[in-house]
Amino acid sequence: LPDSKHLTNREQILSHIDTNLDASLRRLFAFLRIPSVGTDPKHKANCRKAAEWLVNDLKSMGMEANTHETTGQPVVIAKYQPGRVSRHTPHILFYGHYDVQPSEPHKLWKTPPYAPQIRQGPSGRDAIYARGAADDKGQLMTFLEASRAWLKTRKSLPFRLTVLIEGDEEGDTSHLDRFIAANRKLLKSDIAFICDTNLWDAKTPSITTMLRGCISEEVFIHGPRIDLHSGYYGGPAVNPIKSLSRIIAALHDKNGRVTIPGFYDGVKPLSAADRKWLKNVPFNEKAYMRAAGLKHAAGEKGFSILEQNWMRPTCEVNGINGGYTQPGAKTVLPAEASAKFTFRLVEGQDPAAIKRNFHQFVRANLAPDCKASFDSKPETSIGIRVASESPWIEIAKEVLRDEWSKTPVIAGDGASIPVVQSFKTYLGIDSLLVGFGLDDDAVHSPNEKYDVRSFHKGTRTWARMFAAIAERNSK
Amino acid sequence: MNIEAALAAADAGLDKSLDRLFEICRIPSISTDPSYSPDCRKAADWVVKELKALGFQAEARKTPGQPMVVAHYTPKNAKPNAPRALFYGHYDVQPVDPLNLWNTKPFEPARIKGADGVERLYGRGTADDKGQFMTFVEAARAWIRTHGELPARATFLIEGEEESGSPSLIPFLKANKKELSCDIAFVCDTNMWNEKTPAITTRLRGLVHEEITITGPSIDLHSGMYGGPATNPIKVLARLIANMHDKNGKVTIPGFYVGVPNLSQATRKQWQALKFSEEKFMGGVGLKTPAGEKGKSVLEQIWARPTAEVNGIWGGYTAAGQKTVIPSQAHAKLTFRLVGKQDPEKVLKAFQTWAKKQMPKDAKITFSGHGGGAPASVIPENNVYIKKSAAALKQEWKRDTALLGGGGSIPIVRSFKDILGMDSVLVGFGLNDDAIHSPNEKYNLSSFHGGIRSWVRIMAALAE
Repeated sequence: LPDSKHLTNREQILSHIDTNLDASLRRLFAFLRIPSVGTDPKHKANCRKAAEWLVNDLKSMGMEANTHETTGQPVVIAKYQPGRVSRHTPHILFYGHYDVQPSEPHKLWKTPPYAPQIRQGPSGRDAIYARGAADDKGQLMTFLEASRAWLKTRKSLPFRLTVLIEGDEEGDTSHLDRFIAANRKLLKSDIAFICDTNLWDAKTPSITTMLRGCISEEVFIHGPRIDLHSGYYGGPAVNPIKSLSRIIAALHDKNGRVTIPGFYDGVKPLSAADRKWLKNVPFNEKAYMRAAGLKHAAGEKGFSILEQNWMRPTCEVNGINGGYTQPGAKTVLPAEASAKFTFRLVEGQDPAAIKRNFHQFVRANLAPDCKASFDSKPETSIGIRVASESPWIEIAKEVLRDEWSKTPVIAGDGASIPVVQSFKTYLGIDSLLVGFGLDDDAVHSPNEKYDVRSFHKGTRTWARMFAAIAERNSK
Repeated sequence: MNIEAALAAADAGLDKSLDRLFEICRIPSISTDPSYSPDCRKAADWVVKELKALGFQAEARKTPGQPMVVAHYTPKNAKPNAPRALFYGHYDVQPVDPLNLWNTKPFEPARIKGADGVERLYGRGTADDKGQFMTFVEAARAWIRTHGELPARATFLIEGEEESGSPSLIPFLKANKKELSCDIAFVCDTNMWNEKTPAITTRLRGLVHEEITITGPSIDLHSGMYGGPATNPIKVLARLIANMHDKNGKVTIPGFYVGVPNLSQATRKQWQALKFSEEKFMGGVGLKTPAGEKGKSVLEQIWARPTAEVNGIWGGYTAAGQKTVIPSQAHAKLTFRLVGKQDPEKVLKAFQTWAKKQMPKDAKITFSGHGGGAPASVIPENNVYIKKSAAALKQEWKRDTALLGGGGSIPIVRSFKDILGMDSVLVGFGLNDDAIHSPNEKYNLSSFHGGIRSWVRIMAALAE
């Protein structure tokens, strides 16, 4: 009976994963020890080291793996061709990223960011603490460990596989975009699997079908030619910190709406179907806000938190800097102040137009005698929705239900995964977004963690996925 | 009492006065550099020797730092209730680096006539403050030489740590309160309005610092996951700063202007007559448009109006590159410049009350300024010593004395008032182009000569 044979195979692989969890964790730890901060030039060598670590790891399980140069950090490409293929055998492109966010401020970390450690997390479960534990090293390793288990126990994978792991996800994503555009043949496949998203909650899996885009801008406001003594010039001299503050204050109206002209051009109103879908998503607004130490939704009035998060664009200030910021007082009127902004975009918004309009808005709101200059970050992504009904989503729903004993939630995501857009544009393929992170993982923050359970069950989920594909092939 | 005789003596003795000035300027009394400590002591001893020779009861008093020169003079015929004036200056000087930018050697003073026909005295300390305090020493000499004594009771206080923050001054004033408390202090460490117009600085703004932290989320958040619903403390801080002034540049904090006097018509007219070039002042730092309170001139904004300024701001990710974070906290450093009778504590309280009210739900503000602060120093322009000095200066320079403000604070004035209970008259003969603290420091010969003559007249006025 093919069914019972598949069942046995599956159980055998899952049990292999269970008994070899420690070895899997050891490999993940070795990977986490490499401080591959993609945006920091001083970690350039570490990024290459992380890429090479992956090449060795992929080779050790029998794949053909190499690093490829790009205009940014190297990408890792691995290929696997099963011995027996049929015309049903799919070609899967697996995507992950080995670069991590900067880890500052270090003094807020309980254990050093690049010395991974397992200890109890906020919910009482064991968690792996390190920069990249969740985003994305821990996540991508679930797929690699599932592949390793299959190759070890079954000596083959039930699909053709191309692995693409990049090092510019947290930085300039245009590098990978260019690489994909230039390597369509190398990356040709039927579907992309991306493991960089979250579970719905600790018990409920999810599949992400909607992503916000993202653009970044840094603004510098220049006032006096030099720093001034606030005694001699305080009053008549324009203060660029004040000018910058006024611009930031003017960016939203009292209803939380962004005031940049044309900002909402192309944003579709929520459909009745969307409202209905969102209403049925099991989401606890209070708990979500409480996790961040907050109580009140501060975004656009008239939209629920999920609507604000998934279907509405935003303008955020990520950092601000100007004048004297060391301990003590200095009576200075600074010559310059700056701020970093990100805009989260939804389907239909044009990033180039928004950048243009933002620059105009800043210039129009400058105090007299102030000048603005911009560092417009090249990385750009648009908001994306993928079809929420497809055979791949059906398979994913089934295996997620089997592993987690709960129906997965079809979800949106407020964050950007620009590569989804590149896959669609250059390879013509959709992406299946399944991940095992949790909202309390503190990705991008001090004390980032990934539950051991996420890692373990994530690996098991992929193994089940492979089994379902094998089953489908043989039908 | 014959002023003309004293003035004639000052004129006749000018070359000798210059010799003495050059003598003290040759001593490299740099107080900020410990290796020059013996030179500071030498300078103090030199001053003591000169004053003793004039009949002062003078000594170099020990402090934990550089010695303090204290000298008293009581005329034989002085009435017991005659006013006593304290004259303040400092014998220490700034460091001289970078040496290669000096045209002459900093401690080899030189009298040089420029292409413009103006004679200038070059060297470290020629203006700040050896040249300046020697003007009243030499004026005393002119009186004593011609009349056998000073026309008024005088105490000279010449310190040696002014350029290093005067760490010993406050304890010294406190320990010698009785001895040093006089009816009025004359501080000779400021400038003339221009080379022809004498000036007295009558108002200095006060100052109080504050530091604020605004906390939104309990941790830094991912702007993709929380962008929108999460309160962003940078935005809250930006709004707070934006709301601190109205569109006319007026500070909106309730109660902020309590104690701020209106500028008198007389003062306004006087300042207008100074022909201050706003274009030049602003243009010098790359600006054109006065950004302070609308309807107030630049001079009024810096001399007579209080301000709320942001000196620093930080929050979130500020290193190179991008980080898509909604920070948990944002911070700013503020200073308030105070005028009139504004009370630093009350201004801080008013700001804190107002700022708390500006906080939206989910944002919390905390204050970590160190308090303290100082109110403005204002000497009423009808103060008798101001009037006497202004009249004396006018006689000497043949121009109305400009009564100026200063945007910054001069700590000694505060200490004299707080510890010794006396007002200060700030009379000095420096010029804006003296390059104090810089290479090629100079003092115009006319400043030195006219300064001596000015003090001769002011000393006479004190006796009247």
